[in-house]
Amino acid sequence: MITNVAAYPTDILGITGLWAGLLLMLFIYSYPLWKENPLYRFAEHTFVALAMAIAIGVNLDALNKVAFYPLVSEGALLMIIPIILGLMIYLLLVPQYRWISRYPVAILVGSSIGLGMAGQLLPNIVSQIINTITPPKVGVAAFDWFNFVYIAIGLICVTMYFLLTYEHTGPVKPVTQFGRYFIMLALGAYFGNTVLFRFSMLASRAQFLLQVLKIIPM
Amino acid sequence: MSDKTIWDKLQNVDRRVFYWILFVGLAVPFMFPLGLPVAVTPPTQGLYSGLRKLQAGDVVALSINSGVSAWGDCLPAMVASVTQVLRQDAKLVIWSVGYVDCDITYREIVNRVPEFKSKTYGVDWVYFGYCPGQESNVALLRDNIRGLYTKDIQGTPTGDIPMMKNINGAKDIAMVLTSDTGDVQVYYRNQWGPTKSSRDNFGAVKYPVAEIGIAMNLSGDMSFFLSGDLFGLTGGSRGGAEMEKLVGIKGDGTITMDSINVSHLLVIGAIILTNVSYLLTRGKKR
Repeated sequence: MITNVAAYPTDILGITGLWAGLLLMLFIYSYPLWKENPLYRFAEHTFVALAMAIAIGVNLDALNKVAFYPLVSEGALLMIIPIILGLMIYLLLVPQYRWISRYPVAILVGSSIGLGMAGQLLPNIVSQIINTITPPKVGVAAFDWFNFVYIAIGLICVTMYFLLTYEHTGPVKPVTQFGRYFIMLALGAYFGNTVLFRFSMLASRAQFLLQVLKIIPM
Repeated sequence: MSDKTIWDKLQNVDRRVFYWILFVGLAVPFMFPLGLPVAVTPPTQGLYSGLRKLQAGDVVALSINSGVSAWGDCLPAMVASVTQVLRQDAKLVIWSVGYVDCDITYREIVNRVPEFKSKTYGVDWVYFGYCPGQESNVALLRDNIRGLYTKDIQGTPTGDIPMMKNINGAKDIAMVLTSDTGDVQVYYRNQWGPTKSSRDNFGAVKYPVAEIGIAMNLSGDMSFFLSGDLFGLTGGSRGGAEMEKLVGIKGDGTITMDSINVSHLLVIGAIILTNVSYLLTRGKKR
């Protein structure tokens, strides 16, 4: 078994970065673990400012690589169009010309919907329906059959729960109620996994704290 | 003397007390590992099996769409997957359409995978960095990588990079691994789907995409694994630990699992305790 983790930095810049990260992390944690305080606010504002600065820098760099550079160096004249459309969005800040900003927004929304719709049908609808109605192959584990029946019943019950063209009374009532239980089960699983993700983030911070303090190896 | 029982007091415990217990509970297993076993689940096995099928010279696209904040969940599986890709002598094209801080993640992967030392940048792997644009970028990358990435991260024009001579789209790439905190795997499935010639039993065209996701994505994306739209899927640090076990490395995923297990036990204990105290004091005059 190979141990596959990074090493503790030896250069001043690396060590300073580690300790800055640790201190800012502790400043942020001082809010939930103690109360709101100036150190927390300092870390919060530093984070927002840094994130904004990096985002602006990276996006301008990308704009340069994708549009300005091909326009100037390679004579790709078509790149003028996205640059002008991008600039038009800023007219949102000028009240008398605000209407112009709606055109690039409309193009953006339209192209996003067009791109999204094109590929949605196969993986998200057709593929899912095929998978739901296809029984497991002969000879597979009993658990696969249980899953198949469970998903089929769940699909019918939940679909009926969301169909509101009839009243949920009489023989339909237990089915829709069952559908509600299925939804609750699914939401519970989602919530459980969400909590797992948060714990994982917290665990990696606890690990980072111990690594910087050299209590455990990096 | 107060007539409050321990059950009354439990219901009024400051939430910060639990935060402290949780933080300490998460930290202790890093110092005293329990070594609890990790069982490999089918989605992770699917990813590993897919990587094992790679031939020498195949090109794999690694799309880094998770930020530094999701390292706990995504980095272990990314490191393990990249290790396996390089062991198969396959090549890597790395980019990001989702997170501005992908450079830090890329550096960390290179630092943690010793196999990179025997490989040459530009010949065995190349890194293009981040480009904003999300799904429209993924659509463009399908047919024209050079249209989006004119240069790599070192400023070398894409056409001059030896590895990229014959690579300019999905048809030249064997599979996509996307580390995900959101929907980017959907973009690859939607936009790159109709480019492969291999068809499944029902005639559906599916491009081989695997997701290295955060735990939160696991429930929702499992249906795509079951339907074959994703050939592999890892969820959170648990998925990372499973991949590390399969690849044969001991990384952060394995190390973190003890801590995650203890935290879950703490939460289950807290849920039981608070519910019991609520039931025992229900209806009591306050």
